[in-house]
Order: sequence, then C-alpha cells, then structure tokens
Amino acid sequence: MRRRLLIAGAAAAIAAAALSLGGAFRGGSVQAAAPVAPTRIADGVGLAGSGPGTDAAARTIKELQAQLRANPDDVRSYALLGLAYEQRARETGDPTYYTKADGVLHRALALEPRNLLATTGLASLALSRHRFREALSLGRKALRLSPTTALTYGIVGDSLVELGRYRAAFRAFDRMAALKPGLASYSRIAYGRELLGQISGAVQAMQLAVDAATSEREPAAWTHWQLGKLYWSGGRLNAAEHEYRAALATFPGYVYALDALAQVEAARGHTAKAISLERRAVDDVPLPQFVGLLGDLYRSQGKLTLARRQYALVGVIQRLLVANGVKTDLETALFDIDHGIRPRHALALARRAQADRPSIDGDDVLAWALARNGRCAEALGWSRQALRLGTLDALKLFHRGMIERCLGHRAAARSYLQRALALNPHFSIVWSPVARKALR
Amino acid sequence: MKRLVLIVVAVGALAWPALAAAHPLGNFTINRFSRIEVSGPRLYVHYVLDMAEIPTYQAGRIDQRTYAQRIAANAHLSVDGRQVTLVPLRSALAHPRGAAGLHTTRLEVILAGPVLSGRVSVSYHDNNYRDRIGWKEIVVGSTTPSTSHELRAYPKDLLQSPLDRTSATVSVAPKPGRDIPPSLSSGATLEAPDRVADSGFAGLVGRSHLSALVILASLAAALFWGAAHALSPGHGKTIITAYLVGQRGTPRHAALLGVVVTITHTIGVFALGAVTLALSQWIVPETLYPWLNLVSGLLVVGIGAAVLRSRLRSRRQQQHAHGHHHHHHHPTPDTLSMRSLLAVGVSGGLLPCPSALVVLLAAISLHRIALGLVLIVAFSAGLALTITGIGLVAVLARSTFRRIGFDGPLVRLLPAASALVILAAGLAMTLRAVPKVS
Repeated sequence: MRRRLLIAGAAAAIAAAALSLGGAFRGGSVQAAAPVAPTRIADGVGLAGSGPGTDAAARTIKELQAQLRANPDDVRSYALLGLAYEQRARETGDPTYYTKADGVLHRALALEPRNLLATTGLASLALSRHRFREALSLGRKALRLSPTTALTYGIVGDSLVELGRYRAAFRAFDRMAALKPGLASYSRIAYGRELLGQISGAVQAMQLAVDAATSEREPAAWTHWQLGKLYWSGGRLNAAEHEYRAALATFPGYVYALDALAQVEAARGHTAKAISLERRAVDDVPLPQFVGLLGDLYRSQGKLTLARRQYALVGVIQRLLVANGVKTDLETALFDIDHGIRPRHALALARRAQADRPSIDGDDVLAWALARNGRCAEALGWSRQALRLGTLDALKLFHRGMIERCLGHRAAARSYLQRALALNPHFSIVWSPVARKALR
Repeated sequence: MKRLVLIVVAVGALAWPALAAAHPLGNFTINRFSRIEVSGPRLYVHYVLDMAEIPTYQAGRIDQRTYAQRIAANAHLSVDGRQVTLVPLRSALAHPRGAAGLHTTRLEVILAGPVLSGRVSVSYHDNNYRDRIGWKEIVVGSTTPSTSHELRAYPKDLLQSPLDRTSATVSVAPKPGRDIPPSLSSGATLEAPDRVADSGFAGLVGRSHLSALVILASLAAALFWGAAHALSPGHGKTIITAYLVGQRGTPRHAALLGVVVTITHTIGVFALGAVTLALSQWIVPETLYPWLNLVSGLLVVGIGAAVLRSRLRSRRQQQHAHGHHHHHHHPTPDTLSMRSLLAVGVSGGLLPCPSALVVLLAAISLHRIALGLVLIVAFSAGLALTITGIGLVAVLARSTFRRIGFDGPLVRLLPAASALVILAAGLAMTLRAVPKVS
C-alpha cells in the first residue's frame, strides 16, 4: 500500500510538470513554435543524456505500465501514464510518446468520459500538435469539470494567445497566477509582459519562475532557456549565454539551449563554434528551424553546397510533417519567404496560416510575405496589426521598417530599422546585415 | 483542372494509405538491432540498422562498406574481459518506402567474431548512434524471437515503451558442427514489407492465426481494397469509358472487360512477383515499372489508332451509302471486335499495383503463398468490379442520351471523339513513361 502511494505521488508530480508546460509556446517568435515529426514536440524538448531508469518520468512510466497490466481498468493510472508519456516526449524528443499518450488518454476517457486529468492531458497534447482550436475547446471542457484547477487556465490561455485573443488569454493567466503561484504561472505572466513590450517586467517574472523550479530537470532547463531568450531579445548576449549554459547544466544535451547558444556564438562572429553547436542540436532533434539556421550559418561562411543541403532538408521535414497531418503553414511560409523559395506560393500559405492562427505572429508573417511579393501597401496594415500590442520583437520591427522603406516612407523606415538594431543588433544572421545596409 | 487532379490524388491516397505509412517510430529515429549467435566454433553478430526518412535523407548515398566498417568499429565485444574486434563479412542494403514519397534505409551486416575455445563470458556493447533516438534491441541466440521482428514491425502496445537495450553480457559455448555465417535477408524481407503490413490490404497476410472466418474476412477486405484502389488515378478508367461510349458497348461488353482486367492483373502480379523473386539480386521492381508503364501506354496508343481508323473508314462507307438509300444506319462496323476488347482490358490490367505485389512478396516471405495468391485474385476482382461498374455507368449513360434523342452531329461525332480521347490518353501515358525508362 505504502509503495502504491509513493508511485502515485511521483506520478502526480510528473503529471503536474507535464501539464505546467504542456502547451508552452513562449518562444517569442514563430519559429520557436515550429512542430516536429508526426506529432509536434513542445518547446520544452530536451534529450536525456542518460539512459533509461535514471529519469523520474521513465521510472514512473515503468511503474504505471506494470500497474495497468495488473489492473487494466484503473482510469487514474491511464491518465497519469498519458501525462508521463507527454513529459517523456518533451525530455527525449521522441514523438512515439505523443502517439502513446494520445492512446492511453483516450482509453482513460473511454472508461470515464468526465475525467479531469485525461481531458486536460488531451488539451495539452492538442496544443503540442498545433491544434489550437481543439486545445481551447478541450481546455474549456476541463474548466467546466473543475473551475479551480490552475493548470487548466494555463492551457486555455496558451491556446487563446495562439488564436490572437490576447485580452481573454491574459485574464486566464491572471486567474491561474491567483489560484496557484509557481513556475507555470510565473512563466506565463512573463510571456504576457513580453508580448506587451515590458521586457524588464518579463525578466522579473521569469526569474521568479526559475526560482520556483522544482527537482524536475526538464521544466527547470526550460525556464533557464526562456529567461535566456528574454535577455537575447534585448541584445544582452552574456546574460543570455549564462542562462543557456545553466539550462544545459540542468539538462545535459538540451537541444533548445544548444540552438540558442549557437545563435550567441554566431552573433560574436564565432561561426565555426556556432555550426558545431547547431549540428549537435540537429543531430539530436531535427526541428526545421534548427536545420534552417544551420543552413544560414553555412551560407554566411560561403559554404553554399552545404547550405543548400540544409535548406533542402527543411523542405523534406516539412513535407513529412504535412504528410503526418501537422499544420506547418506559418513556419513554412516564413522559411520560404526568408529564403526566396516560391514567393507567391509562400504568400498563399501565409494567408491561410494567418486565417488559422490570427495571432501577432500570423499577422507579421503575412505582412512580410506581402512585402516580399511587392505588395507593400497591403503589408503595412498587417504589420500594424502585428505590432498592435507594442511587442518589442526586433524581427517584427525590422519587417515593419522594410515595409515602410518599400512605400518610400524614409523617416519611418529609418526609425523602425534603428529600433530593431538597437534592441538586438544580432537579431538574425540573414537580416541584421540587411537592416544595417538599409540604414547606410 | 488542377484542383480536380488534386482531389483525385487525395482520394487515391485515402484509398491506399498503406504505402505512404510513415516510419512507425517517428521520422528521425535510427533503430539498431543486434543478434549475437554462435555457429560451429565461431561467434557472430547479425547487425540491423533501420533509419527513418530524415536520417536517410541526411545520409545521402550510403556506401555499404564504409557503414559496415563503422558499425563494426562501434560494436564493442569482449570475451572474458578481453577486447576482440568484429569483422564485417557481408552486408545488404535496401531503401523501403516511407512517408511523403521519401525512403527509409535498412542495412544488415554480418559481423564475424572470434573462434571460441570453450565456454566463455561475452559482453557486448553497441555504441553506434549512441545519442540518437530509436529502438535499441539485442537478442542472444539464433532462434530467440525479436520483439520488433528484427526492426520490421514495432509493437504498438500502449503499455510498452520503445526498447532501449544497448549492452548484454552472456555466457556462450562453441557448438558442434561447421562454421556457417548467419544469412542476410534478401528481396522482400529486406525491403521490410512487414512495416507496410501495418495497415490495410497488406496487413492481411501478416496475421498469425488463420481461422476460416479470418480468411473470409480477408477475402472480403481484399475485394474491398481492390475496388477502392481502382478509384485511384490510373487503371485505364478514362480509356475504358471512352472506348465503351465510342464503340456502342453493351453491358455484356462492360462485364467482359471486367473479367479481362481481373485476369490480366492477376497474371501481371504473379509474373512480376516471379520475376522479382528470380532476379531480386539484379533488379528491383521499381525499375520494371517504367517499362510496364511504357508498354501499356503504347498498347493504348495502338488501340486508339485502330479505333480511329475503323471509325473513319465506317464514316466513309456511310457517306458512300448515303447516295443509294437514306435513313439507314450501319451498325455493323461499330460492333466491338473481341480482339480490341481484349486489348483494352489488357491495357487496364497490365500494370500491377505495387501494393498487390507487396502482398504477394510478403505472403511468400511468410510462407503463405496460397493465401497470397487467393488474396491477389480477390484484390483483382475488386479492381475489376469498380472498372466494370464505371463501364456500366458509361454504357447506360450513353443509351439514356440516345433515348432522349440527342441525335445531332455532336452525338454522331462522339465515337470519333472517343477514339481521339483514347489516343491522347495513350500518348500521355507513353510520354510520361519515356523519361523514366533509362
């Protein structure tokens, strides 16, 4: 009996970890929310450097599997196992676990249709797979089952953010923080402040999230990475690097931190170092944005053949994602436009993506796609939309600057480009030099 | 038009999802399997590497020898605590189809270990692709079953995590008998049809228990798959319809065509299966497909030309006849010759569906040849059912039109137009096939 209780305790802790960042999309940019493989891996992906059995989630999974083989009608264990699978997917980057999570969560719901844990688990799974409307409706269903569960507000808020309904999203985050202060709610507050352009406030909140991290390694690494990205978006390379290294120390081989460190090294002009870091990330979990950045790094070194190979691989990965029913329109559109691949087609993709995901990221990508197709007047309206919250995102400001320039608004163009470079002179390997040149 | 093509292709993909199956473990896994076994006095490791779509694409051209040497170097074996080297003896490489028209990789390598002098303790550690995600399995003994069927069929049990075994320590002893290295997979087994066998038609032969009910259900399913498959692009639906419409076909003709398609398709699959098995060392079926495409294209061109010629001739005769007696139509030149009917049917059934071929080869590799053959016949019959149905619709639609009395010049031109349609379709098929034949 005592043993059973211990397992249940460990499982509940992992379930909470899985849910707390279940739909964590705080990438700050569209690219960070790019999906991978048949099912999307949430932003908290990491690769366990250690073998099986050393991680709490892996251990819990084993125990729950054994329990369910002995007692196949145990609803709670199914739901907990589903959440543990989700957590494991984030730790290993292995999408098989998402499929398994989907299977056991549905089994739990088949046994008990109004199970709160399983409903919330499915909502966070839908978020991971970029099915935001589905996530929202599942999240609301979970709220009807229990209106005082803080984590559910987080998932609902995350879906609302992706759907561009910021006011409602921030209300959900506030409610969450009021119900249960902690890593999950602090990091969402930080994201809200970041969206509103309050970078120092965002850093403060994320610092609280870092301090609130428990012994679960992956969520802790995730908060370090997020804090690092906040520093990075303000151009503070050293502070960002410090956090990225902390993330790697907490969770060895954490791919998001490897990718972020590669960007820092590239900004310092250490391209060779950046390439070796990015290659490690790509070898572990080939997310399209990692592969694309590797291509950009090769290109900046003049290694065009290698760069082209990476760009082709991005196309291949996106084909696979589409074949597996994952929505990648927004990510594909941005990549294609940035790399001059079939601009008209990319514009059509961007339109579709914006309709599906009317967030500021959707607006920004559509604006940029229009501008690159020479339709700058139409682009300006969407860029205004993209900056409506006052977000201090160098890339969005740069897009706006280029649109103003295309329309012949020289003063406005200069002002936006200067703001972008002042925020973070290294915001993009490809576009920072373009911004500098445009200002000359 | 483009939209229509897309819809048709999409429906086709729905009808036949099996061949587009993604790697069951995700698109970027690299999966490893080792079988440690003793044959006579020597210890061997049968190593299998299965790479999903993304690593396969990243690898580009794979040089078997380099890969085999690298695998051998990273598979650490020690006998009684002493390091020994493994030597790659032979290898086999295949690129089974994966998702989105991409390929996966299956590489098998036989690694030769040391000659054993007596009972020893062997410890094996697989260090290949250490940090990559994937299924990692080690089994000991030549007959020990593998959970993943040697990386061909990954368990879908929700209560099982992917296997993660990279080392093993066992006690082994030399066996009586000669030193015969373990054999590599070849042909269809190497192409891992079992992975494809996860769904749809191809899954039917893989079942382990065969009751009468299962067989009946399998037959029904095969019939259904065949019927559904016929709706995907190809299969000469346009040609058959055009032919029946233009040549004043009757329902009997439509049924006959169906029979011919079934027989041709069955024979085609059997023949291609036989050729593939006999020549599996030298050719892959994919290289045969372009040729078959070309042959059916040329056949259709021939039919179109013949029909057109007979139409033009009968028109001329009619014009001659007009001078003598009016109001008399000539049905005789329009009756279908058995020979041309046969040719149309053959052109529709000649190209064996790859999926049917996969089933046959899978059946052979599982030693269930009879079942495979019967299933192919059922599949072909389903195919024919759809084609006959479409033909019937065409015939009935035409007779309805006639009853309403559309007897204008347009309707009289219909037979000639249909001949042109056949000709154009044949030319298109031929032109599409030509660049692939080389």
